[in-house]
Amino acid sequence: MLQEAPDFYNESTDIACGIVSILIEGGEGMRGSGKKSFAMIMVLLIAAGMVLAACSNNNEGGNKGNGNTNVPVKQEATEGNDGANADSGASEDPLGKYDPPIEVTTVRNLSDVVENNVLGVLEGETFEDNRWTRVYEEQLGIKIRNEWVVKGNPDSDQYVQKMNVTLASGELPDFLSVNAVQLKQLTESDLIEDMTELYEKYASPLTKDILSQEGTGPFDAATFDGKLMAIPQVEPSIERSMFVWIRTDWLNKLGLQPPKTMADVLAISKAFTEDDPDGDGKPDTFGLGVTKDLWGGANGLEGFMAGYKAYPNLWVEDASGKLVFGSIQPEVKQALQALQDMFKNGQIDKEFGIKDGGKVAEDITAGKIGMEYGEQWNSIWPLQLNKNNEPDAQWQAFPIVSESGELPKVPQKFSTTKFFVVRKGAEHPEAVIKLFNLHLEKNWGETAEFDVYYAPKEAESVWQLSPVQPAPPKKNVTAYREIDAARKAGDFQALKGEAKTIQEKIDLYNSGSEEGFAVWGWERIYGPEGSMGITDQYDKNNQFLIDKFVAAPTPTMVERKSTLEKLQDETFVKIILGDPIDSFDKFVEDWKKLGGDQMTQEVNEWYASTK
Amino acid sequence: MGGKWRRELPLHFMILPGLLFIAIFSYVPMAGIVIAFQKFIPAKGLFGDQKWVGWDNFNYVMDLPSFSQVFWNTLSIASMKLVLGLIVPIIFAILLNELKNEMVKRSIQTAIYLPYFLSWVVLGGILIDLLSPSGGIVNGLLTSLGLEPVFFLGDNNWFPATLVGSDIWKNFGYGTIVYLAAITGIDPGLYEAATIDGANRWKKAWHITLPGMRMVIVLLSVLSLGQLLNAGFDQVFNLYSPQVYESGDILDTFVYRIGLLDAQYGVATAVGFFKSIVSFVLIAGSYFFAYRFARYRIF
Repeated sequence: MLQEAPDFYNESTDIACGIVSILIEGGEGMRGSGKKSFAMIMVLLIAAGMVLAACSNNNEGGNKGNGNTNVPVKQEATEGNDGANADSGASEDPLGKYDPPIEVTTVRNLSDVVENNVLGVLEGETFEDNRWTRVYEEQLGIKIRNEWVVKGNPDSDQYVQKMNVTLASGELPDFLSVNAVQLKQLTESDLIEDMTELYEKYASPLTKDILSQEGTGPFDAATFDGKLMAIPQVEPSIERSMFVWIRTDWLNKLGLQPPKTMADVLAISKAFTEDDPDGDGKPDTFGLGVTKDLWGGANGLEGFMAGYKAYPNLWVEDASGKLVFGSIQPEVKQALQALQDMFKNGQIDKEFGIKDGGKVAEDITAGKIGMEYGEQWNSIWPLQLNKNNEPDAQWQAFPIVSESGELPKVPQKFSTTKFFVVRKGAEHPEAVIKLFNLHLEKNWGETAEFDVYYAPKEAESVWQLSPVQPAPPKKNVTAYREIDAARKAGDFQALKGEAKTIQEKIDLYNSGSEEGFAVWGWERIYGPEGSMGITDQYDKNNQFLIDKFVAAPTPTMVERKSTLEKLQDETFVKIILGDPIDSFDKFVEDWKKLGGDQMTQEVNEWYASTK
Repeated sequence: MGGKWRRELPLHFMILPGLLFIAIFSYVPMAGIVIAFQKFIPAKGLFGDQKWVGWDNFNYVMDLPSFSQVFWNTLSIASMKLVLGLIVPIIFAILLNELKNEMVKRSIQTAIYLPYFLSWVVLGGILIDLLSPSGGIVNGLLTSLGLEPVFFLGDNNWFPATLVGSDIWKNFGYGTIVYLAAITGIDPGLYEAATIDGANRWKKAWHITLPGMRMVIVLLSVLSLGQLLNAGFDQVFNLYSPQVYESGDILDTFVYRIGLLDAQYGVATAVGFFKSIVSFVLIAGSYFFAYRFARYRIF
C-alpha cells in the first residue's frame, strides 16, 4: 500500500496531500531517492522559509503596532511630567492648575449605561474626550489617558481578567481603582504610594468632609500599618437598601394587594405566573426576576432572603456576640427552598442560570417579569425600559417584608469597594486627589453645575464619564427629605442643587409631556410614593442591619474569598435549579473546610480588637 | 556517513523552527512550575522572595469539591471528541469518495470544511442563538415536530453532548480532507483488479479503501492521543455557564478561573502541573498500546 507518492491532481486536497506525501516519503521514500526528492525538499524549505518570514514580519508588525500605542506614548508622558515637575509647586492648592498641563494614565471599564445612555445620546463627546475630561484639563491642567478600556461592568470576567493581568505584570498606570483584596496585594508587593500625607495636604475641605460622612470604615479598610494606601471612593451603605419593585398595573388587574408578608410575595409571584397578567393568553410571564449572579442592585436576592432572616454575604453578630458569616446560616437554606419551589412552578425563568443583568433587563422590558428585588434606582434602570416599551405599565417600590409580618431587617453590605491607588513612583501622586476635589466641587460644591456634570436631562448618568466618582453618601436621602418637606409645605422655591434638579424632573413628569415620560423613573424614586420615602422609613424604624466587618481583608480572605464566593453562588444556583436542598449542608461543610473557619477566626480576632 | 549527513542537512534545518517553537513555548515556561509550590505574589517576580508552601496548593485543590468532577468531565469530553473525531471523518471521506459527480463532491467538501475556519468566539455566539430554547431555530424545529424543547447549553444532561457534537461539526471537514488525500494515494490498479474479480462497491471500500487509509488513521489517532486531557478551552469557555459547570467545566477553564479571575496563581499552577503529569502518563501509555496492537511507531 501507499508505495507511491500521491498524485497532485485533485486541487482542493493539495495542502493535505502535501502533508501526507511528506509523511509517506519521510517514512519510506526519502532515504535513497536521489535528486528528485532533494529538489522537492529545497522547494519545501524555501516555501517554509517564506511562510516563516511572513510570520515574523507579522510579529514585527504587531510589535510595532503595540509599540506605537504603548511605549512611545509612555515616554512622552514621562517627558511631559518632567517638564511639569519643574514648577509643580504652583499647584499645591487643592483645586490649583498645573501649568504646563500634566498627563496621568489610568485604566477604565466602559459600561453599557455609559456607552448607550450617555455617549449614545451626547453628540461630540467620546469616552476619551468629554465634558469631564475637558473640565479636568481646563481647570486642573490634568490630561487623563486610558491605557486600556474594557467594555462591560467592573465585575465582568473580561475586566477582572484584564485587571489581574495588569496587576500581575506590575506595570501599573499612574492611578487606578482596585478592590479591597487587590489593594492588600498591591500594598504587600510595595507597588503603590503611601497616600497619608498627600491626602492631608491636597484634599479639599469639601472632599475631607464628604469622604468622612460614612464613618471611619472606608478609611480603615484602606489603612495598613497606619499608612493610608488608597483613597476610598466612599459609597453609602444606606443606598444599598433593598425594596421589592412590583408592577402595580398587574397587581390591580389581578385584584391583589401589596405584600405584607412573605406569603403575600409568594402569592403575587404565583399569580403573576399563572393568571396571565399581560392578558395575551400565553403562560409567558414570570413572578420574580433573578440573574445568574443572584445578588446585586437590580434583580438581586438579598431582599428576598432578608424576608427569611437570612443575610448572605454579610458578617453578622450571633447570639453570643461573635461574628458569623450570613451565607452559611440555616435561614439561607429555608430561603433557597422557597426559591427552588418558585423555580419548579415556573415562577422563575428556567434560563436564569445563563442570564446576566442585561438579559434579565430585556425580559423586564418585554413585559415578562412583574416583580424584582432591587435598590432605589431600579425605576431608572431597568424599569424605565419597560415603561418606554409599554406606556401603561406601572411599577412601585414597596418595603421588603418578613415571614411573620413584623418589620424585617434591611441588610446593608459594606459598600465601599473601589479604592484608588497610585503607582509607586508616579510623577504626580496627588493628581488623583485633585480629581476627587474637582468632581465633588463641580457637583456639590459652591461652583456646582449639577445639571451639567452629574445628571443632565438628556443623559442621566453623565457623572459616570469621570474616572473618579465620589459622592456625598447621604445625598439622595438628603435630597428626598428636602423635596418631601417642600412638598408638604407646598413651596418648592427654596430647593437648590440636586434637590432642585430632581424636583424639576418630577414637575416635568407631572406635566404629562413626552419629555416628562422619559423621566418617569425619577418620579418613582423621589415622588410621593417613591422608593426614597421607604429608605427614609427604614431609617426612622431603625431597620438597617449593617455589615459588621469593615476592615482590610484578612489574609485568608485575600486568598480564598473569591473562590468561596463562587462555590457559594454555584451551589445556590444549583439548588434553585433543583439540586437536593441538603447540598446546602455539604456547602457549609466545604465552606468551613476551605478557609471559612479560618476567615471566621480572623474576623473575630479583628472584632475583638475593635471593642 | 558524511554523505548521509549532508543529504539530511536540509531536513534538520526544516525541523529547527519547530524545535525553537517548542523550546520557547513549552520548555522555558516549565520554570514556572515552581509557582505551584509557592504562595505566589506576581510583583515579586518568578525568582523573587516568594513564600514556599510545600504541597499546600495541591492539598487545597484536592479539597475543592468540584475538582474530581472537573477531572472526569475533561477526560470524558476529550475521549468522546477523540473517538468521534476519528470515526466521523473516515466515514465521510469514504462516502464522499464514492460520489461520482465531481461538482457535488467538491461543493460538499467545501461546505463541510467551512466551519473549521471560524473561531469559537464567533461560533459560540452563533450557537447560543441557534440552540436557545426560546426562539432558537433548532428548538423551533423540535417543537414543530411535537417534541419538547431542549436547553442544550443549560441542561447538564445535554451539555457534554452539545460540546462533542458541535466540536465534531466544526472540525470533521478538516479530517475528511486529510483522509480523502490518503484515498487519492491508493493505486487505482487495485480497484480495477477488484472490479475484474467481481467485487462490488461495499467490498471495494472494505477491502481496498479502508486498508489503504490504515497508516494515516493510525498516525492521526496516535498523534491525537496527546490531546487526551485537552477538551478544548476555546469551545467550552465560549459556551459554558455556571449552570453547567457540573457537566462541562474542564481543567483548562478551571485553571483559567482560579488563575486569571481569582488571581490564585499558585493553586492554578498546581492544577496545570497535575494535568501535565496525568497527560504524560496517558500519552506514554497509549503510545505503548499503539505499538502493541498496531505495530505503529512515530519515533
